[in-house]
Amino acid sequence: MNDRTSAPPPALAVRDVTVRFAGLTALDTVSFTVAPGSVHALIGPNGAGKSTCFNVLSGLCRPAAGRVLLGDTELTGRPPHRIAALGVARTFQNIVTTAGTVADNLMLGRHALSRAGFTASALGLPRARREQREHLARAREIAELVGLGAHFDAPVALLSYGDRKRVELARALCLEPRVLLLDEPVAGMNGAERARTAEVVGTVREQLGLSVVLVEHDMGLVMRLADEVTVLDFGRPIAHGTPDEVRRHPEVLRAYLGTGADEEDAA
Amino acid sequence: MSDPIRTTARLLPPFLLLVALPFYLDAFWLRIGLFSMAAAIGAVGLGLLCGTAGQLSLGHAFFLAVGAYGYTWFAGDPGLGLPPLLALLLAVLLAGAAGGLFSPVAGRVKGIYLGVATLALVFLGHHVLLTADSVTGGFNGRSVPPLAVGSFAFDLEPQLVVLGVPFGAEERLWYLGLALFALTWWTARGLLRGRPGRALTALRDSETAASVMGVDVARYRSAAFVVSSMYAGLAGAFLALAFRRVVPDYFGLTLSVDYLAMIVIGGLGSVAGATAGAVFVTALPLLMTRYADQLPLVASPGTTDGGVGPTEAARYLYGAAIVVILLFAPDGLHGLVRRLRARLRRRTGPVRPPSAPGPDPAPAPTPSASAVRTKEHTP
Repeated sequence: MNDRTSAPPPALAVRDVTVRFAGLTALDTVSFTVAPGSVHALIGPNGAGKSTCFNVLSGLCRPAAGRVLLGDTELTGRPPHRIAALGVARTFQNIVTTAGTVADNLMLGRHALSRAGFTASALGLPRARREQREHLARAREIAELVGLGAHFDAPVALLSYGDRKRVELARALCLEPRVLLLDEPVAGMNGAERARTAEVVGTVREQLGLSVVLVEHDMGLVMRLADEVTVLDFGRPIAHGTPDEVRRHPEVLRAYLGTGADEEDAA
Repeated sequence: MSDPIRTTARLLPPFLLLVALPFYLDAFWLRIGLFSMAAAIGAVGLGLLCGTAGQLSLGHAFFLAVGAYGYTWFAGDPGLGLPPLLALLLAVLLAGAAGGLFSPVAGRVKGIYLGVATLALVFLGHHVLLTADSVTGGFNGRSVPPLAVGSFAFDLEPQLVVLGVPFGAEERLWYLGLALFALTWWTARGLLRGRPGRALTALRDSETAASVMGVDVARYRSAAFVVSSMYAGLAGAFLALAFRRVVPDYFGLTLSVDYLAMIVIGGLGSVAGATAGAVFVTALPLLMTRYADQLPLVASPGTTDGGVGPTEAARYLYGAAIVVILLFAPDGLHGLVRRLRARLRRRTGPVRPPSAPGPDPAPAPTPSASAVRTKEHTP
C-alpha cells in the first residue's frame, strides 16, 4: 500500500505554462521545478495566478501552452482523476468537504488506491469488506497524524473551521501522494491552529518524504517551511529562489509586500 | 461500521412481522403491500441516483416499463418463453442495458439538466409501448405470465394451504416481494456504505473535489444511472407480476413524478427513507380511496348530488398530506424519525434537558392555531 512513498518522489516540472481565460492571461509562460522531497512555495498578490497554477497541476484546467511533467510522466491533458491516481493530491482554498463523517471524507481520499466496484460493494463480497477495513485503518492513522483522531467519526459539518481545513489536508494525504498541493492551508486559522498545521506539514514531509507545493499568504509560514519560493505577479513569474533571496528581491518588495514595507506579514 | 449482530437484532422484529402478515391480512391489504414493495425497490434505485449522486431523473417510469415489459416478453408468448426466473433476471439486465445506452447523456449532463433530458425517455417509451403491438400488445397491454420456480408458481394454481390459510397469488407474491426487497435493501446499503457510495456522495457535493480525489466523474455518473435503472427494472418486473397485466398508460410521466415524490417525502439519500416514502405514496391514495366514503362531507360513490366523490377526496387528502410533510419535515420521513428518536433518547437518557418536556415537541402548530383564534375574536 505504501510502495509509492518508499521511493523518493519524482520532480514536478512546470514548463512554460500559459493559461488564458477569454482575454485575460492568467498564467504567462510560467516555469518552475519542484525538487523531490522539497517544499516549494508559490506566492504572489491576489489574482496572481496561484490557484490557476494549482488547477493546471491537478488537471482541472488545461493550459493553452506548456507542459507539466511528474518525473517522465506528462500530466498535461490528463483528466483530474488520472493525475490523482499518479499521486498528486491537493486541497482547496475554500474548504471543499463532502457530507458524512471525517472517516467518510478520508475514505474518499483512498478511492484511487482501492478497487471495490459497484458489484463487489453491492454484494458485500469479503474482498470488498477486507479492503474497506484495511483502508479505514490507514485513514485512522492519517487522522491521528494530523490531529483529527478524536473527531474520526464526527460529522464534518460539526467541526470547527480549522478542523475542517485539516480534514482536507488529511483527505489529500490519504491518497498517499508523492506531490501534495496545499492551497492556503492556514487561511482563516488562528495562531495556534497555524502553528499546528505548519507542524503537520513539516511532519508529513519528513515521515512520508513527499514534495509539497504551497500557496500561502502567511509569509511567516512560507519563510519557515519553504525550501524554494516562486513569486507570481499578474500571471508572470517575477522572482525565484530561497526564501531569503526572494525576501530581498526588489521586484517582490514592489509587487507583493508593497513599496518600502519591512513587515513580513503585510499580506 | 455497525456490528452485524446488533443490526440483525434490530431488523429481525419488523422482518418477522412482515413474514407473519399474510396469515392475517386479506387480499386488499396484501395488494397494497405488494405495490408498496415494488415501489420501494424502485424508489431505492431512484434515491441512489437523486439522493446520493445528486442527479435528477424524470425517466424512472421508462425503466420500470422496460423491466415490466421485458419480463413479460422474455417469459411470455409472444416472446421468448424462457423460464420466468431467468426472464426476471434478464429483465433487470435489460433495464440496466437501457440505462447504459443512455450513459453518454447520463455521464455528461448533471442535475436538473439530466432531468429534462430523461423526460424524452418517458415520451419515447410510451410511444413505443403503444405502437410496437407485436411485443407490447399496444394500448391494451399484455397479460403477465406468473413467476414460477420449478413447479411452484406464484399464482392460484397449484392450490396451497399453509397453517390453515389458503395461499393465493397475493400471499405467494408477498414472500417473493419480501425477498426481492431484502435483496434491494442489502445491495443498496452495501453500495452506499462502500467505495461507490462515497464516490457518488462526493460527486453530488463537489464534482471538483471528487475528481481530484481520483473519482472518474463521467464513469460514476453513468454507473449510478445504470444501477438506478436496474432497480427500476426489478421494480417494474415485480409490479407486472403484482398487477398481472401491463398497460402503457401506467408508465407515464406521472409515475416518474410519483417516484420523485417518494424519495423526497421519505428523505433523500437513505434506503430507509426511500422505503418509507414509497409506502406512503403508494398506500395512502389506495387507502383513502377505499375509506374516503366514510369521511364526513364525502358523497358515496355513484351518487350525483354534487358532493365531493371519494376519489377526489382521496386526492385532496393525499395532496394535503404531502404538503404537511414537506412543511414540517423538510428532510422527509426518515429525518423526522431520526429527530424523534434523538429527542426520545435525550428524554430517557441520564442527562435531562434543562427545558421542560411539555412545550418542546411540535411547537409550530400551537402558536399558529392560537393566532388564528385571536384573530376571530378581535372585531
